[in-house]
Amino acid sequence: MEKSQIKDELDNIFKKIFNNETLEISENMSANDVDNWDSLSHMLLITEIEDHFSIKFKLRELNKMKNVGVLIDILSSKLN
Amino acid sequence: MFNKEVILPFLKSIETFENHNAFCINEHFYTYKELSNSVTKVRFALQKEKIINKNIGLVANDDIETYASIFAIWLEGCAYVTLHPKQPMDRIMEIIDQAEISLILNSSTDLLFPSIKTIESKNLKSGIIDNLPKLTDENSLAYILFTSGSTGKPKGVQISRKNIGAFMNSFWKTEIHINENDRCLQCFDLTFDVSVQSYLVPLTKGACIYTIPHDQIKYSYVFGLLEDYKLTFATMAPSIIRYLQPYFDEINAPNLRYNILTAEASSLDLVEEWATCIPNAEILDFYGPTEATIYCTYNKFNRFGVNKQLNGMMSIGKAMHGVKAIIIDEKGKTLGANKKGELCVSGDQLTPGYWKNHEKNSSSFFTVEIDGSNTRFYKTGDLCYIDNEGDILLSGRLDYQVKIQGYRIELGEIEFHARYFLKKINVVVLPFINKTKNTELALFIENEVQNTDLLIDYLKSKLPSYMIPTKTIGVSEFPINTNGKIDKNLLKLKIGK
Repeated sequence: MEKSQIKDELDNIFKKIFNNETLEISENMSANDVDNWDSLSHMLLITEIEDHFSIKFKLRELNKMKNVGVLIDILSSKLN
Repeated sequence: MFNKEVILPFLKSIETFENHNAFCINEHFYTYKELSNSVTKVRFALQKEKIINKNIGLVANDDIETYASIFAIWLEGCAYVTLHPKQPMDRIMEIIDQAEISLILNSSTDLLFPSIKTIESKNLKSGIIDNLPKLTDENSLAYILFTSGSTGKPKGVQISRKNIGAFMNSFWKTEIHINENDRCLQCFDLTFDVSVQSYLVPLTKGACIYTIPHDQIKYSYVFGLLEDYKLTFATMAPSIIRYLQPYFDEINAPNLRYNILTAEASSLDLVEEWATCIPNAEILDFYGPTEATIYCTYNKFNRFGVNKQLNGMMSIGKAMHGVKAIIIDEKGKTLGANKKGELCVSGDQLTPGYWKNHEKNSSSFFTVEIDGSNTRFYKTGDLCYIDNEGDILLSGRLDYQVKIQGYRIELGEIEFHARYFLKKINVVVLPFINKTKNTELALFIENEVQNTDLLIDYLKSKLPSYMIPTKTIGVSEFPINTNGKIDKNLLKLKIGK
């Protein structure tokens, strides 16, 4: 799957989890930039992403996710 | 007691272990020498001020200056009141107002208090002062922590120096042994009293503290610290473990010597599974309300035998040294073994009372004669029984409180603000367990509502983020049970539809 397509699909997941239709993700975006991105919503976000792409993250991978760009990279390597 | 258990051991750590690390904050290490220098600078700045009120506001940032400020405040004979930079300004101002704060220590520039004298604790000049603590009465306060209150206003729990001294003394009697080589986790906000245990235990023994930066995802960062720095002592809420549960097969932390679980009930199944990830750790469950200084009962998890439980939750064990625990019925009569009632605790860890709140003080505390002397008890609001062997089993809350991510929340406080915003429309807030087995809050509104964005925005301006409902559900008319009360069980069924 192309990174641009991953990003588009992630965009919808973020909108849903953070209940914000105007939220647009970008590569540099991190938990700091999004209202309510805490442990709870992070868990829900990860679960949603795993269900959507039918993959499973390792904890070590989650720990490396400093921003959305890294998330896209990890997803891309898992899906291809 | 405070000097013997807190001040002197802390000063000894600074002197004996000056080149040891005291903190690791955001991947940066600070030695005891650096901590000591920072304490001195803050003390020097405090000494230049005319202290009108001994309650000093402390902005709870995650940096060396904030931790140094706590000790500077104590060495100067004052008390700290934490102000959390991520909480709404309205709530912070309410706390400042209630505690009559006239001086604030602040290490950041994100949050400003134009109307109150503020010492910026970053970039302070060094001054030369001796390390001796100011002579201070044991009954003067060490901190005031504000917790959720059902009247819509937070209430302040006063903790005296004597209270903390008694706590530390009882804590060490649980046979936890920490030394200067330990690496200890501090994952609690300074607005929450378990943070006090998490920084005092290492700093009074010359050990190193590892903190969680405010912008990090907590459970993930905790795992990183366990893995990268081989932590040896960690206190955490069971919710952290619940978040880590899907990844247990990846976790192996043989260096961990002690793991304290606290702030909410521990599910025995979860703890049994988690124990395999930390094969060499002694696991202890600690229980206690803020009003009785951090913890007042504890239970050691038995890896190889049977652990007592009620409804799947581990027993909270026996009272700590110096604490007395009894169970009373609705009329205040003390109950015998195996009878369910309200858990009440007494001892030197008991708060002198809520800050300037006479009404709450007379309803939450009572005095009974035990063995010829008057003993003051605090009513915890927890429904418990004590079994034949003296172990306490926790059954739930008596009143209308829940815990979210370890924070004790009065649902009434959320309802108060929601009702205010919605004028006269009735609302109910109920907790529910989501699919990741964590607690979330649902707000029911007695009205077919379309858009609740403005309401949620309003709540966000009044309440900390963990108190904001994640679901809002409009109901044309609330169902009523046979007692004429709103049927919360029927309302709960609407969640998830």
